[in-house]
Amino acid sequence: MNSRLPEMLHCLNSTTSENCEMSVLERQRSRLKQQEQLTHHHPPIPYFNGNDHLAYSGFHGDQALSDLVLNGGAMKPDPGVEHDDFRRFMNYGTGTTDFQMSCALPRTVSCPPYVAAASVDSAAGKESCKKRKAHNLKIAAEEKKMKGCAEEESKITEQNSNSKSTTTTISTSANKNNKGPSANAKKASDAPKTDYIHVRARRGQATDSHSLAERVRREKISERMKYLQDLVPGCNKVTGKAGMLDEIINYVQSLQRQVEFLSMKLAAINPRLDFDIENYILKEMFPACPPAMEPDHSHLQFNTSVEEVSGSGLEMVVGPMDATLRRTISAPITVQQSFLDSSSLNQIQQVTWEDELRNLYSMEYQQGRSTPFISQQITGFLEANHVKLEM
Amino acid sequence: MKARMQMSSSVVKQEFFKKWIKGMQIYSAFNKEMTIMERKRAIKLSADVAIASTRSATTQWSRAVVADVSTSAAGAARAAAEEILGRKLPERKALATTCSKKIVRRSHQRRSKAAARGVVRSSAAIAKKLVRNRTRVLKRLVPGGKKLDEISLIKETLDYIACLQVQVDVMRHLAAAAESLDHQQISF
Repeated sequence: MNSRLPEMLHCLNSTTSENCEMSVLERQRSRLKQQEQLTHHHPPIPYFNGNDHLAYSGFHGDQALSDLVLNGGAMKPDPGVEHDDFRRFMNYGTGTTDFQMSCALPRTVSCPPYVAAASVDSAAGKESCKKRKAHNLKIAAEEKKMKGCAEEESKITEQNSNSKSTTTTISTSANKNNKGPSANAKKASDAPKTDYIHVRARRGQATDSHSLAERVRREKISERMKYLQDLVPGCNKVTGKAGMLDEIINYVQSLQRQVEFLSMKLAAINPRLDFDIENYILKEMFPACPPAMEPDHSHLQFNTSVEEVSGSGLEMVVGPMDATLRRTISAPITVQQSFLDSSSLNQIQQVTWEDELRNLYSMEYQQGRSTPFISQQITGFLEANHVKLEM
Repeated sequence: MKARMQMSSSVVKQEFFKKWIKGMQIYSAFNKEMTIMERKRAIKLSADVAIASTRSATTQWSRAVVADVSTSAAGAARAAAEEILGRKLPERKALATTCSKKIVRRSHQRRSKAAARGVVRSSAAIAKKLVRNRTRVLKRLVPGGKKLDEISLIKETLDYIACLQVQVDVMRHLAAAAESLDHQQISF
């Protein structure tokens, strides 16, 4: 672009210098020709002609900057879209386990909120002038100050504070958009965003306070539904709220049933509850043990569940641990590759393991797996002691 | 970002596991001989309280779980729950859920009237009704969900699902570990 711009400047200059002697018709014709030239030069930027003053302003910047400027100019009619995507992206990044249910600003947000916060007064000025076309409704929650059409806004603030009183029973902060407390702590920069809800009715949409409030509510719900879609497997294929709720209900039920089943299983496996104590010792000693102890078929399940709960990024540490494990574990056992992986997965937290402990781990592993020299009536508890003795 | 996410969930898992084990230890210390159902209940309750205590008091559902235990549980269960939570449970009486008979009757009447009239509903109304029914079901499933409005219900559901996933994951691990131990005992 930088290379193209001077050309264009030159074109413009030449035409303007000629313009002095040209009639109106000629001027127009030349401009048309020049525009043709420009479009020929810049086919990928169709809105370039409309915004060439913007291009001038971005001239000194690099390509990205000027592109940004151009985009900003072009996106003016609906800047909320891009912004919304950005917010979603941010929230994806911070993850679902933290439950930053920052109620992202609705799609009809008229402009990014930091801009909104800065230019509240200017927005108020605009509001009065284009009241009929696009009715801006600004809600200042804390200050309760109202501008523009006072009546409607007061209704909205009332309604929103009502909803706040119900929802902030969960979130400790009295924040408007019921962001989670963790989100507040982490993203201090986001805090000013939540002070205002900027609602803008599109053309043909109702502008009375109830409709606006309802729309805000619906958008909040759909926003959260998106997160749920990410969390619940198989939910992203379903469309419609009822179907999604169905999926969610099924999933919650299945999880609850799984908990029931697992507790029943655990109760059935062991005659006493202190079976856990020995495992507890094992786990305390070798926090990476449980996947090592478990048979391979459950390892598969483990992998799938890990994908959902704890995300990926597990593969990073596999390399060195894997190598050491393979070195210490001797030939007789045929250990599957995937099994090794799974056992080293949990060791991310224990990166600072010493060599001895690592060796011990593998020794214990060998013992548990392949050495049938322990006598017949050995109990699990004795085995645990055995391991401890080896320590 | 993802690493942090994973980290936090593994921290939650460890915390849950420790609390769970602690609760079961208390349980088994209280009475040595339990039937399988008693054991199952003990495991379930300590798992529930443990997962609730990992998100202590920040969410509605965890509070509801704790409140439920504090009203219903007694003896060993209470002691275990108190141990897990690290605080005394307040003595709470179960709230008598009284519903006005008048209101119930009236709502029934209205429904029957609408049915009697045989009003042909629009598809939008049907969809709305489906959503409403499902929301009601979901409210039943999520502990403490009855008091929530729709927005916070979804938020709570998100939290609850994630916690259930952690719970299931840890429990599955433990079950697998215990099972493999069991198998070894049999095979030796």
